[in-house]
Amino acid sequence: MKLYSLSVLYKGDPKAVLLKAAYDVSSFSFFQRSSVQEFMTFTSQLIVERSTKGSRASVKEQEYLCHVYVRSDSLAGVVIADSEYPSRVAFTLLEKVLDEFSKQVDRIDWPVGSPDTIQYTALDGHLSRYQNPREADPMSKVQAELDETKIILHNTMESLLERGEKLDDLVSKSEVLGTQSKAFYKTARKQNSCCAIM
Amino acid sequence: MAETSEEVAVLVQRVVKDITNAFRRNPHIDEIGLIPCPEARYNRSPIVLVENKLGVESWCVKFLLPYVHNKLLLYRTRKQWLNKDELIDVTCTLLLLNPDFTTAWNVRKELILSGTLSPIKDLHLGKLALTKFPKSPETWIHRRWVLQQLSQETSLPSSVAKGNLGTVPAERTQRILQEEMEVCGEAAGRYPSNYNAWSHRIWVLQNVAKLDLKILLDELSSTKHWASMHVSDHSGFHYRQFLLKSLISQTAMDTSALQQNSLKDEPKDEEAAASTEEPRIDLTQLLEEEVEFCTDLIDSYPGHETLWCHRRHIFYLQHHLSGRCPLNLTHLSPADCSGGTLNDLHLIPASPQLSQAMEVDGLNDSSKQGYSQETKRLKRTPAPDSLGLEMEHRFIDQVLSTCRNVEQARYANAYRKWLVTLSQ
Repeated sequence: MKLYSLSVLYKGDPKAVLLKAAYDVSSFSFFQRSSVQEFMTFTSQLIVERSTKGSRASVKEQEYLCHVYVRSDSLAGVVIADSEYPSRVAFTLLEKVLDEFSKQVDRIDWPVGSPDTIQYTALDGHLSRYQNPREADPMSKVQAELDETKIILHNTMESLLERGEKLDDLVSKSEVLGTQSKAFYKTARKQNSCCAIM
Repeated sequence: MAETSEEVAVLVQRVVKDITNAFRRNPHIDEIGLIPCPEARYNRSPIVLVENKLGVESWCVKFLLPYVHNKLLLYRTRKQWLNKDELIDVTCTLLLLNPDFTTAWNVRKELILSGTLSPIKDLHLGKLALTKFPKSPETWIHRRWVLQQLSQETSLPSSVAKGNLGTVPAERTQRILQEEMEVCGEAAGRYPSNYNAWSHRIWVLQNVAKLDLKILLDELSSTKHWASMHVSDHSGFHYRQFLLKSLISQTAMDTSALQQNSLKDEPKDEEAAASTEEPRIDLTQLLEEEVEFCTDLIDSYPGHETLWCHRRHIFYLQHHLSGRCPLNLTHLSPADCSGGTLNDLHLIPASPQLSQAMEVDGLNDSSKQGYSQETKRLKRTPAPDSLGLEMEHRFIDQVLSTCRNVEQARYANAYRKWLVTLSQ
């Protein structure tokens, strides 16, 4: 039961702007960590770009679940978790973080912000605390007001894309991903078949 | 960039040397990994050492692996001699790249038997390989062989003890035990439902710890938090079922052994007297705590089938206890591991009953509930007590009335159906 990343973004037109992010890649092998982190940034941005304003969705990709909440004012949050992590707690976390963020950071800074310029430091603490959902959110047993049926479920990242768009292309064109990450993506794709020694 | 066979040989030898040197420079290396790096940078070694992590750049693997693989096979087929140090280095390199290469492990077995290679060093290599390949079957299998060697070599006192009475595991056994638990724990964390890691853990408890009661209890409490944070890890919960089953069977054995001893008119020495003060184990309470634990998790994390399966097992153990029927050890085996036995288990019959009990399961097609084997056995045992059943039905009602998770409802209903079959 793990949380891997927590990010706040602004859904601009057409691109999503990363405002702040926290990561926990400690459970990945050492040499994969920087690539994994870049991928999570890439994925978070992509998901926000392909989600409509005022929506919540959970996107499944292999053993990861990406939970996204895009508010109607274009402020968005993405949590990347494993498949055990209770999604209800993930959405509670997103709601809470976006609420707090919007109070601390002026709206005017959102469309042009970046992790270096944005003054919001609570994200790492939230990510760390929410690693244990029962401690962070003891009320999660009680039915949340959130209606779970309004959360859109996507079984793959591919279903977010336009017809004809390929994830492989988006990866190779991405400015967020370094060469090592792109190489990592290629070998990981191959690894989904059996017998890969690498 | 086409490499001539000479260039390849030079490169490979350099890489193997770099790896050996890295281990020499840093004896605390605790993890290996592959660095995706499609092209070599001019004249730089593909071996990277950062903190305590050893990385291999991927570009060199296509040269390195076939070359060392071939080298070892030439040695094996007596076409080319390799001295002991070369063998150690070559097998080390090979196994860090592909730990399922049995021949390499077998060469190391020979080195261990001839006294050239320390078993502890070999275990360390296995531990490293598992950081990248946490499931690797050959690594686990070889590990068990090494542990066997170690236990024969030192003829640990625990192997001579009758049952668990008077057994205080030697300090060395304790250290080995601790280390194995740690290795299993790490591997379990690196891959979900890591059957090989958990099976190894069980094997260690059976063959190294000899199902010592105190160790079983320790394991039960020390794995509790992990289980609560891995609610879909079926192997992790199966481990808890194994612990509870073993606690039941070992307690029963102790009781009968105690009874036997009291029949003999032997003067009990100090040690034996002290050993009868074994931890008083309240099995009923342990099982109740496990049910509570399970309930808590089911409520907090709706929709995980593993938790419901776990509940069935605990319920079965509970009513089995209260039914007070003679313990049939085949019921208490980890036979519900689908996928068959550990093939190498027959090498060491732990306690005779347990080795017989490893039946090959999974030849029947799994029913929708997947418990046809268990259900058939259950039908032969006396009906579970009605109070226990009633409580379970009430629990199911409570879950169904409050849950909004579709899968949770499905599992709750399936559990109800299963309970109904028990009383038929």
